[in-house]
Amino acid sequence: MQQPKRWARLKNWETLMFIILCVVVVGNLRLSEHYLDLNNLANIFHLSIEKSLVVLIMAFVIINGEIDLSVASVMGLAATVLAERYEAGWPIAAGFAMALVVGLVCGLLNGLFAAYMGIPSLIVTLAGSIGYRGVARILLEDNSVGDFPNWFTSLGQDGLIGPFPATIFVFLALFILGFVILQYSVFGRYVYAIGNNRAAAEYAGINAKQVKLTIFMASGLIAALAGAFYAARLGNVRANAAEGFELDIITIVLLGGVSIFGGTGTMIGVGLSLLVVLNLRNGMSLSNVDGNTQTSVIGILLILSVLVPNLFQLLQRLLPRVFSTISGFTNKGGAPEPKSQVSIHQ
Amino acid sequence: MRKLQLLMVALVLLTLTGGLVQAQDDPEPIVAEPGIELNMVLLPKTLGNAVFDEAHEGAIEAHEELENPGELIFNAPTPDNAIPGQIEIIEASITQEVDAIMISANDYEQLLPSTTKAMEDDITVVTWDSPVAPEGEDLFIAQVDFTEVGSVMADMALSILGEDGGQFAILSATPDASNQNAWIEAMQALLEEDEMYANLELVDIVYGNDDPDDSYNEALGLVDSYPDLELIMAPTTVGIAAAAKAMQDEELCGEIAVSGLGLPSEMQEFVENGCSQEFALWSFKDLGYLTYYVSYLLASGAMEAEEGVVFEAGRMGEYTIEADPNREEGLRVLMGPFSVYNAENLEEWAAEEE
Repeated sequence: MQQPKRWARLKNWETLMFIILCVVVVGNLRLSEHYLDLNNLANIFHLSIEKSLVVLIMAFVIINGEIDLSVASVMGLAATVLAERYEAGWPIAAGFAMALVVGLVCGLLNGLFAAYMGIPSLIVTLAGSIGYRGVARILLEDNSVGDFPNWFTSLGQDGLIGPFPATIFVFLALFILGFVILQYSVFGRYVYAIGNNRAAAEYAGINAKQVKLTIFMASGLIAALAGAFYAARLGNVRANAAEGFELDIITIVLLGGVSIFGGTGTMIGVGLSLLVVLNLRNGMSLSNVDGNTQTSVIGILLILSVLVPNLFQLLQRLLPRVFSTISGFTNKGGAPEPKSQVSIHQ
Repeated sequence: MRKLQLLMVALVLLTLTGGLVQAQDDPEPIVAEPGIELNMVLLPKTLGNAVFDEAHEGAIEAHEELENPGELIFNAPTPDNAIPGQIEIIEASITQEVDAIMISANDYEQLLPSTTKAMEDDITVVTWDSPVAPEGEDLFIAQVDFTEVGSVMADMALSILGEDGGQFAILSATPDASNQNAWIEAMQALLEEDEMYANLELVDIVYGNDDPDDSYNEALGLVDSYPDLELIMAPTTVGIAAAAKAMQDEELCGEIAVSGLGLPSEMQEFVENGCSQEFALWSFKDLGYLTYYVSYLLASGAMEAEEGVVFEAGRMGEYTIEADPNREEGLRVLMGPFSVYNAENLEEWAAEEE
């Protein structure tokens, strides 16, 4: 019955994601001769860079046992504020800063209502999502604002090193920062502890409200940064910017093995899932697969990712001996686990 | 002797330049050479819209006619992902090194970074149905001149009501639909300016929000409010079909005519039973066909996107590239004219469809 620990670790969620990633990459290599073009490699990240950025902070939010449905609206509002201020004659850098402040304020509001007043974050951020988008629409109405200075648009469009634009390096830096904070810092351990069992964490002296508020504010800030990058990439802003992005973002986080109930998941898993989704989408685009099919494929992947581990768990219960050897998938991360299995990942 | 020689040289020069001037006035149209391998992408606004499928049919027709051994790729984003989706498809097309992209744009400006990048990579970018800003495209294939819609509607009203005229009302889409409003304004301006239309009396403009039920009820409302009403003019495919249905259900078809912009497939039954005598629309199939021809000519290098260039687009005949009056420094090919449908040609249309 006892498995060697190393073997168990190999069969965890990250390994599954890694295998899927390899399959996708090999498939892409076979399907398109252009897959490895440097420009295409840049495009894989570049065309979804805004979503990718927000995925990083969404992992924190969900592991902490919360949800933030307002991120796409904050992205849109930040882009709108930046554009509106620029049109009003502010330098673009000041508009950029203002957009970040607005993002922080949105996050502060979400955090105050969700963490300090105890309203479920699903409701708070759903309301935020409607409200922030509404403000964006009031600011810009049906207009579009563009003609930003070159340095700003080139931030989102032109290659900094080769074809890779600056925004990709910002993402890499934030990924490493997120990884270190979540897996190796005290704050990261608090995030898991609260997500696993908030009451227990509070008994242990962790200020859960403060941690949650911090995460919501960071979520607002990163979403605003992503919104500004979106404005730079498209070179033009409308009030409907980034509409609907939150679903893709949450999908990637859940596919990365983060439990929707909080407490489990790792930054590596989320990073791998991001690579899987981006490469899958890119491969399908290069094979001219239409948008409806692309969405379905990602949807099926998500369903399977929740279903397969649960199925293993069920079979494991029914046939303990036979399946004890292949039960590894369920042991770490992945599917929603019973809350009693408290385990603080490092 | 010297003088004579000079005179002759001058004469020769004159005839030569004269010939040149004449050549510019009436140039030979550029004709496409079939069989050139070009990979081309047809990128409409969204998936699942009947008119874009018709445009696709037209493009396929041209693709086969020109015996292009390359690929004709048809792809579009889902409606919830319209702009980022179009950008992704444009970028993937650049990566695949296609020769031409034909776009019905979801946004006038936000696609520019991608379409300009495509043009820098020597990809022909032609827009149709809905353009991008001129710097991001080679040219735009305009279905009809939007001011022309007003005159087509006025002419149909005149032909239905006759010179003695009568009362008519407009059933439009939404109050803030910019297309419809521009068309109605153009029509109103024409009614005021031109003596020819002096007896046509526009009594009301109502809005059915491009919703079949709303449009149906608004049409009935018009009948109740204006006992002398003789015609409902609907510049929207949803409105015209709903109004015709309403007149049919109320058995008013002989008394109140229905006209406007309609899809032949939806209007056929109403023309057959006399509820609508005449309606108009541009053909999306022709739009797709013409777009393909222009893109093929540009991508194969047979033609440059310059004002005044004349070319032949297969069965559709000769067209000229002209300055776009609606967009500064923009170029367009104006497809036009409207197809006006009535009982006679609708039969032909139906026969062709089968």
